[in-house]
Amino acid sequence: MLRRNIIELRNLTKSYNDTVVVDAINLLIRENEFITLLGPSGCGKTTTLRMIGGFEDPNDGDIFFEGTRINNVPPYKRNINTVFQKYALFTHMNVYENIAFGLRIKKVPNDEMKKRVQRMLKLVDLEGFEKRHVDSLSGGQQQRVAIARALVNEPKVLLLDEPLGALDLKLRKEMQIELMDMQKNVGITFIYVTHDQEEALTMSDTVVVMNNGVIQQVGSPVDIYNEPENRFVADFIGESNILEGIMHEDFLVSFSGRKFRCVDKGFSKDEPVDVVIRPEDIDVTSPEDADLQGVVSSVVFKGVHYEMLVESGDFEYMIQSTDMQPVGAGIGLKFGPEDIHVMKRGSDNEK
Amino acid sequence: MGRHSKRAGALSILFMGLGQLYNRQIIKGCILAVAEALYIIMLLPYTLSCIKGLVTLGDTPQRMVNGKIIQGDHSIFMMVYGIIAIIVLFLFVVLYIINVRDAFKVGKNRDEKKKVNSYKDSLRNLSEKGFVYLLLTPAGVFTLFLTVVPLAFGVMIAFTNYSSPNHLPPRSLVDWVGFQNFINLFQIPSLGKTFAGIARWTLIWAFLSTFTTFFVGLVFAVIINANKIVLKKFWRSIFILPWAVPGFISILIMRNMFNGQFGPINKYLTSIGIGAVPWLAEPFWAQTTCILVNLWLGFPYYMAMMSGVLTGIPRDLYEAASIEGANARQQFFQITLPMVLFATAPLVINGFAYNFNNFTLIYLLTNGNPANNQYFYAGHTDILLSWLYKLTLEQNQYHMAAVVSIIIFVFITIISAFNYMRTRSFKEEDMVQ
Ligand SMILES: Nc1ncnc2c1ncn2[C@@H]1O[C@H](COP(=O)(O)OP(=O)(O)OP(=O)(O)O)[C@@H](O)[C@H]1O
Ligand SMILES: [Mg+2]
Repeated sequence: MLRRNIIELRNLTKSYNDTVVVDAINLLIRENEFITLLGPSGCGKTTTLRMIGGFEDPNDGDIFFEGTRINNVPPYKRNINTVFQKYALFTHMNVYENIAFGLRIKKVPNDEMKKRVQRMLKLVDLEGFEKRHVDSLSGGQQQRVAIARALVNEPKVLLLDEPLGALDLKLRKEMQIELMDMQKNVGITFIYVTHDQEEALTMSDTVVVMNNGVIQQVGSPVDIYNEPENRFVADFIGESNILEGIMHEDFLVSFSGRKFRCVDKGFSKDEPVDVVIRPEDIDVTSPEDADLQGVVSSVVFKGVHYEMLVESGDFEYMIQSTDMQPVGAGIGLKFGPEDIHVMKRGSDNEK
Repeated sequence: MGRHSKRAGALSILFMGLGQLYNRQIIKGCILAVAEALYIIMLLPYTLSCIKGLVTLGDTPQRMVNGKIIQGDHSIFMMVYGIIAIIVLFLFVVLYIINVRDAFKVGKNRDEKKKVNSYKDSLRNLSEKGFVYLLLTPAGVFTLFLTVVPLAFGVMIAFTNYSSPNHLPPRSLVDWVGFQNFINLFQIPSLGKTFAGIARWTLIWAFLSTFTTFFVGLVFAVIINANKIVLKKFWRSIFILPWAVPGFISILIMRNMFNGQFGPINKYLTSIGIGAVPWLAEPFWAQTTCILVNLWLGFPYYMAMMSGVLTGIPRDLYEAASIEGANARQQFFQITLPMVLFATAPLVINGFAYNFNNFTLIYLLTNGNPANNQYFYAGHTDILLSWLYKLTLEQNQYHMAAVVSIIIFVFITIISAFNYMRTRSFKEEDMVQ
């Protein structure tokens, strides 16, 4: 499916007091996409979002909305709305007034306003809550009011800055599913910020991994997980074994003192590389018919599987397996060419 | 009802301690009996004569016999003694009731064949269960004498003719007059006019002085807190200065500044050709001056307080409003003002009550002047409290002063009670973090 671009960031840069917080990022966001900015705390996600929303002026670079540059357009003219992390509900108004706030400002006639607010209440499943004081609502309900308030203006893009950050785990999971449904129903673009990689992988069409104000990788959740572009992404998304190796030729890499067949190509001859092997891709076998031999140094039960650390040569492999091996057991490690992922050397993309 | 409880109860009604003796609580019974005997022998005659004095307020006035003054009855002292005697009698009656209930209860225990407490048991009981009451007793007694006596005294004065020139002890006697003073306040034209006029100005004054300080404070707080303002701390310190100087000094300085003839303000106005303004001499201007000076003294308090409230309003509320297209004015009226009002309404009502009784400012700045010759010992800027002061300390019109103070008391009590209930509901709603 080919979708039109709705937002484009070009060379977008922001610094506070000479500290560069967002560093010349380029990003294409398509219509109806659920796109997530993912990265560790302080990496510039909120700042990026606030520039898109119009609350911060970039120091450099441009923001395009449907092909028009909107750097100098005030927030309320951007056709973009925001759900704030702490909801930012008007505590002195009831649910109805909160949702109707913008419509009143725009002098929307009373009966139309009523209709639109009702539609929103239905969408977020809060019918009958009109008269309730927002302070009397639970966290999840307040969150829904905030979403209803943001959607009632029928924006084309909704910005959500860690909207589930304040909720407990169970409610979080429920709201994740509801948010995804809502996005499908209203059919608008969601730009979502989180530092929870699991949340990002669950909900998004596209994940943007950021670190230190620089985009590390843009891709679908599957790509991001299976084909991390660098050590940072591999490390940040899920558990992984990251080893240093040498790419001898296409489809042949060596690490841990051995040569392995792999499915990667396009490196120069004998180029130093980083190699990623996911813990769940390593099979435990008897030492004789294995690629590598090692000794189990610790075992932790994780519910679905056991997580074992296995010392082999001077590297400690993490392995996830449903079969437990006792500490001190000598075992073999086995993985196929498609389980080996080769990346360019260097910890992350830097300017 | 059993035999013992009936008899013990009846006996202890007859004389304190008898019931306890009947219940074979010898020590307790003796103590109670001695207490009643002592009261009857030593205090009762005196109590009765004091209460009689309270009723009559004396009947022999001071006389001159052969050029020598012979002391008569002092009505006011008699009134105070009477009040104290009533309180002592009241305490005795309370003790008597406790005594009867105790005898009855112990008797009932005997009827039900339960154990009767020995003296030691009773003491232990008292120190265990009654410990809090024991602790509270001294404070309770102090309150009775230091708060209830003056309060009762003040209220009673309103029902007498205690005033200069004809009813001022020790020269002459004071009499009870019933509700006559209250009737007079509304029926005697000069009094009624004074009261109505002063009450109206007091309300206008309390409202305007609170309102102006509140809004000017709010405006300054908003301006200082605006992002564009640099040197926030500097401005805040400058504006807080008038508040840091002791009030009466500022007021006296202001009184000189606004002086009609010699004041620098009028000198300056004259020099630039506007001419002197009768700041303190004409009723309207004097009232305006009061409000201006109070504004100058009072707004820093609200400014400081509301700066705090403003910084407590989360920034994203404004951002959320601005996405919806609210401009600066709409943001102020729909977010800032309601949030600040919710947070400070109790203080505003308190401020109203404070200004209602802001004696210091009025008395020091204008002394109630300019005088109003249609008023009963009062001027155009007098508020009820300063009128009260003049009535008592300058004119010895204690009876009318008492009436006015009862009215003020009732009014302030209503405001405070209202405020208290509102404050609680505010807390529950938890408006601003
Ligand atoms: N107004 C500001 N003034 C100065 N520095 C700021 C300002 N706002 C953000 N920063 C800095 O910019 C960096 C990025 O902040 P940002 O809020 O974008 O991080 P984030 O990725 O959203 O992190 P988190 O996941 O913790 O919310 C941080 O180091 C932060 O301290
Ligand atoms: Mg953030």
